[in-house]
Amino acid sequence: VSASTGAAVLDPVLAQVVRGRLVAITDQMRLALQAVSGSPTVTEASDFFTGLYLPDGAFATMGHQVTFEAPPVGFLIRHLLAGGKQLREGDRIIGNDPFVGALHQNDLQMCAPLFVDGVLVAWAGVMAHETDMGGMDFASWSPKAKEIWQEGLRIPAVKLVDAGELREDVLDMILTATRLPAQVGLDVRAFIATLNVAADRLVELCHRYGTEVVQSVMAHMVDDSEQKVRTRMRAMPDGVVHTRDYLEHDGHTNELYTVDLVATKTGDSLTLDFSGSSPQAPGFVNCSRAGLSGGVAGALIPTLGFGIPWNDGLLNPVRIVAPDGLICTAVAPAPVGSATVETVWVVSNVVSAALNRLLSATPEFAHRAQAVSSGTMATFNLSGRNQYGEPFGLHLMDPLAGGFGAFADHDGQDAAGPINTPSPSMADVEVNEQKTPLVYLYRRLAQDTGGAGRRRGGVSAEVALTVSVPETQALVMTHGAEVPNALGMSGGLPGGTVRQLFAEGGIGFRDLGPKPGAFPLRDTDVFAVTWQGGGGLGDPLDRLPDEVLDDIRKGVVSEAAALETYGVVLRAGADVRATGRATGRADVRADDGATGRDTGWDEGATRRRRREVRAGRLGRPVEAVPAESRDLDPSLRPAGLKDGEGWLPLADRLHAIRDVRGDWRVETTDGAVLCVGSTRWREGAEAFPVPLPPRVGGTLHHRLTATGWLCPITGHLLGVDVHMKDQVPFHDLDLDLSEGSRVSTLLMY
Amino acid sequence: VPDTRMQEQAQPADRPGGWVVGTDVGGTFTDLWLRSPDGQSLVCKSPTTPDVVTGVVDALRLAAGLVGMPVEDLSSRVARFGHGTTVGLNALLTGRAARVGLITTAGFGDLLEIGRLRRGTASLQGLEFGDYSLRGRTGPLVPRHDVVEVRERIGSDGRVVTPLDLDSARAAVRRLRDEGITAIAVCLLWATENPAHEIAVAELVREQIPGAFVSVSHVIAPTVGEYARASTTAANAALGPIAGDYLAVLGEQLAALGMHAPIMMTTSAGGVVPAAALSATPVTGLLSGPASCVVAGQALGKQLGRPQVLTLDVGGTSFDVGVVVDGAPLLREDVTFGGADMRVPSVDVASIGAGGGSVAAVSGGILTVGPRSAGATPGPVCYGKGGVEPTATDADLVLGVLDPNRFGSGGIVLDVEAACRAIDERVGGPLGLGTMEAARAIREVLDSAMADLLRSVTIERGHDPREFLVVAGGGSGPSHAWALCRELGLEGFVVPATATAQSAFGAGTSDLRTTASRTCYVRLSGGAQPDESHAALLTRALTDTAHRAITAIPASSATEVTHTAAVRYHGQAHHLDVALDARPDAAALARLLERFEADYETLFGKGAGYREAGFEILSVRAVAVQHSSARSSSTSSQLFEDRGVRPVVFDDPHAPRECTVYGCDWPSADQSVAGPCLIQLPGCVVVVPPGGTAATDSLGTIHVKVGRP
Repeated sequence: VSASTGAAVLDPVLAQVVRGRLVAITDQMRLALQAVSGSPTVTEASDFFTGLYLPDGAFATMGHQVTFEAPPVGFLIRHLLAGGKQLREGDRIIGNDPFVGALHQNDLQMCAPLFVDGVLVAWAGVMAHETDMGGMDFASWSPKAKEIWQEGLRIPAVKLVDAGELREDVLDMILTATRLPAQVGLDVRAFIATLNVAADRLVELCHRYGTEVVQSVMAHMVDDSEQKVRTRMRAMPDGVVHTRDYLEHDGHTNELYTVDLVATKTGDSLTLDFSGSSPQAPGFVNCSRAGLSGGVAGALIPTLGFGIPWNDGLLNPVRIVAPDGLICTAVAPAPVGSATVETVWVVSNVVSAALNRLLSATPEFAHRAQAVSSGTMATFNLSGRNQYGEPFGLHLMDPLAGGFGAFADHDGQDAAGPINTPSPSMADVEVNEQKTPLVYLYRRLAQDTGGAGRRRGGVSAEVALTVSVPETQALVMTHGAEVPNALGMSGGLPGGTVRQLFAEGGIGFRDLGPKPGAFPLRDTDVFAVTWQGGGGLGDPLDRLPDEVLDDIRKGVVSEAAALETYGVVLRAGADVRATGRATGRADVRADDGATGRDTGWDEGATRRRRREVRAGRLGRPVEAVPAESRDLDPSLRPAGLKDGEGWLPLADRLHAIRDVRGDWRVETTDGAVLCVGSTRWREGAEAFPVPLPPRVGGTLHHRLTATGWLCPITGHLLGVDVHMKDQVPFHDLDLDLSEGSRVSTLLMY
Repeated sequence: VPDTRMQEQAQPADRPGGWVVGTDVGGTFTDLWLRSPDGQSLVCKSPTTPDVVTGVVDALRLAAGLVGMPVEDLSSRVARFGHGTTVGLNALLTGRAARVGLITTAGFGDLLEIGRLRRGTASLQGLEFGDYSLRGRTGPLVPRHDVVEVRERIGSDGRVVTPLDLDSARAAVRRLRDEGITAIAVCLLWATENPAHEIAVAELVREQIPGAFVSVSHVIAPTVGEYARASTTAANAALGPIAGDYLAVLGEQLAALGMHAPIMMTTSAGGVVPAAALSATPVTGLLSGPASCVVAGQALGKQLGRPQVLTLDVGGTSFDVGVVVDGAPLLREDVTFGGADMRVPSVDVASIGAGGGSVAAVSGGILTVGPRSAGATPGPVCYGKGGVEPTATDADLVLGVLDPNRFGSGGIVLDVEAACRAIDERVGGPLGLGTMEAARAIREVLDSAMADLLRSVTIERGHDPREFLVVAGGGSGPSHAWALCRELGLEGFVVPATATAQSAFGAGTSDLRTTASRTCYVRLSGGAQPDESHAALLTRALTDTAHRAITAIPASSATEVTHTAAVRYHGQAHHLDVALDARPDAAALARLLERFEADYETLFGKGAGYREAGFEILSVRAVAVQHSSARSSSTSSQLFEDRGVRPVVFDDPHAPRECTVYGCDWPSADQSVAGPCLIQLPGCVVVVPPGGTAATDSLGTIHVKVGRP
């Protein structure tokens, strides 16, 4: 159904009134769900979704909730429509089948067909992560699983409420299958309450303003968002972006899997081709096609949809290409238990990386280009009997506290949460300790986990845990312990990797690797985990030393990293402990001038050190590189720009330039021409084995390596690729430079 | 003997012969409400001054002039001086509060940095949540380098896991002392269950930093959840020195005028406390302005015999709604302030960015009004202060609701033509509407956003708005209330004569009220019944809170204490406050759970409850109240003055209705007029729609019936 069929003569005032009511109804759904639910994932972490859908299953409104979860309920609705199921007023349908529409079985979803005067006018949908839906192991995601049937109850699409009558037998069946019947029971009630709120209010709205008006407004909302995002896309250059990310360990063996994306952007549409990804795995890391859509939505919605109401319209310009049977389009009997935190998440990483490459090359949006944020969510589940003697289960949401990727114009936020959660939240230490036998030894920011760069990626948080009862069962797994998923941009380094340590009896920490699975956690043991930081943006040598000093004083960057990675030499005896409030850059310098206070860093030594690092990268003597490189200023014309030439930024130190004859070249800020006739700038950059800092590359997967790309004149970092040892890095950005192409309309002179 | 004296101070308003003053300092104006011993009231406004205190004294002088008395004579006759101010609020928002050192448990010094991940999105609204580049704009209340850690640990059951390492505590305190920090917040894990370590650290601070203002978390915010508790404690420490200084200066200046009445400060929980009580816990007064507004509505409801009240306050930038149920304002503990989550007992005021200054804009064929506001500068286009974007006030002017020559009391003449031009250009043109149609569209979109908020605080919480007395206040409340009433199917609304100074009125008339709470965790697994040991635990906690609530205010036999317990189904994040006896037994606890379930179903619908999940009782709260019983009445003899006729657009933009315009400063009792008409009060206009009527009661309050369209 095309949204454009809505009445063309819709009264704009009425439209806004109805639009406001629809948004208010969506918010009421959220409140109802959060108020009634008994799941910490819902009440504390906002890991859920509520929305209103068009009759065809396109979502018209959503709260600011997990973006992965935007498409799945729509799949459930479309499944119902395709199956021709007889639907009645008061029906409430429940499902959680990853091969129908869920991301994994934990995603319990419900939808309600909303009827007015006997006609289906819309749908309401709700979905939330349940800590346990049965299966071979607690938490319904088991590293041991080889088939989806082992992972928990699968509900395709079942009427839980039939024309207003709750089917107690169906509910009993569901609650019998889970290890946490009280929690799931409360949540199912919350779902029903949520859908009832939506049904009551939407029917009222239709009676007040007319069904046609309400339907037309909903269709217009989707249309408007689609038009807005298409307009935005038309302002971006056309071309092909190629990105790739990896995840290690399928639960059985430490195999490395690839998610490969070739994104082709033409005009106002986008094709995302995942055909180059690994075949599906024998373990639980896969995702189904629903998961692939979720992963794409998770990154695309915030990256291109900023400032636009979020609905299905944002996804309409996108076509996804991927054959069945890949790690991101797994088919039965592949297990998909950890899809959300494994392949779905990695799909988001590559989509985010690709779209931000395009933003970088768009003058209007270059300032908001962002490196990859927290490229994984390491999971920690705990079960057993709690301090009150009751059986309990916990899905810890603290691992959301990864670092945010750096933006071109500001640092990534520390412990910001990932990009798939617009309003992230986690429980207080005390709340978790009251509800469960967890005992925290610390919860703090993790030093040196932020990707180094001119703009630093946010650092992650880290926790150390034990328990207050003799014994519990922990279930621990992640990817990204050996893969730095939070890749940098523009020469920025990746964020730190996950580190999972265990001290049995409290003595001697050993590294658990990515997927230790289930193990007992006793009151004498300590489990410590550090999550991924955000990627950095730009060469770390371009970071202002004052900013590095601020980071040291805050404790998020070590003195060793300041020297090794940022090339900042501290003044002997400098007080790096912190004095006074942090202020803006310019102020700090002015203050220092006025008061003569020690900045903490040695200017001459820092300049020398940075030159040495640049020369070292190129493998040349110090004198062979210029003492100074050109300052970075995004508004500054490139040095090599001649009269009549137009240019476009590609990265911190890379510019695409078109000369008066219409020929293109890519030039670094310091004037090195890297390629002509294309944007495949790696052709002329110098490759070198970039050393990754210990927190980033200390436990790199044995099949991976990293290559840095340098300006051949200055030795500044232009890009960093993490890739398989037996594969040559590829060109990530190939803009369409043909005559009359979109890119020529974006040139600056 | 001291007791008697204090008792007199406690309820001086009841003493015959006393004048009562209520003052409220806002960003632009300092409002003052004054009641004479014979019950006659007046309201006046004076510009707020940078030092605040001068503006308060100016307002008092102005009031004295209005009643024809030398200010010293009036001051010496004042029996009660109620006061609310945004001093603390502004200091915190602008970073002018005291520099705070925060002391935490070792391993948790980053708690404000991490901020439960919520700090990153703090202060974002609406579509801003979807723009990730806006995240992280709010810094932590205390920068990381002013946070120090001490080695100690208490478990969730209150047992000492790691004894307090005094050496580490001394080192931590020394570090803050060396920095010259004198406002100290202490927040240690589980201090709510065992405050011993916090008390010891606080003593050490007082020893090593003489004169320090020390806030400890188990006193300031006795609630489980270290992030909000630390934020609240830090905010309190930041405000402490400022509040102390401010109250001292205010006290001196008033005393210099001959005033001997105690200063009663308004609190966020709705009510007043003696100034001395607030200077120790200034954070409890942070949001007192909006709270006083609701309390004013509550007082009006009480005088009119209406226990269910909705207070609507439409100012320049926001629309605030308070709900009074069974005579008491709804309270909440969780508030967000300055980007931080706080736990302060507060009147639950729902708010959206919809007010007179809300900007109307068209994008993609869609008209939106607010949440962006033109604010005071440049303000609406019609103010002629450089505003170019049309606002709700411009629309009201064009529709005929506002009189261009009599807007507010500032003597501003509004520019109707400029307002028309802006509406044409930015709304009418893009939408293909005429000026009037466009102006009406602006009003309709704004009204519907306000109606959505009203629905969400009434219908969505299980209340029928038709049972409520609607009290409209603020500069734009009385002119929009009629449309809201129609939208929600309500009969009408009332406008107090103090409509534009409700917070000052509230400050003058509020009950003396304190709250005290503490954690008290009782867990009942599915199927378990409460027993006498649970009852004993609760009784101990209730006795303690009642004692603390009572001793915080002057002793009086008239003090009433009520108790509530916070109850929820096991696992939920949201609780309900349910009334409880002072000394419950097991049977009383069983009744408590029944009441919880009944309340729960009222809120979330039949069948939403789920006993099988079990229950948790989290905390108890005691509220001690000394009622302010004085009534005011209108002894004004001002009749509505007929100021002519003007066309006003109601429903049909093409058919404006001729409306009689009445004017009055303080209406006398027992008048009535028929709609459509306008009643111009100081600072606002009451709109009575066609088919409606308006009448005044003995207080001078205007009762409007909106009739049927």
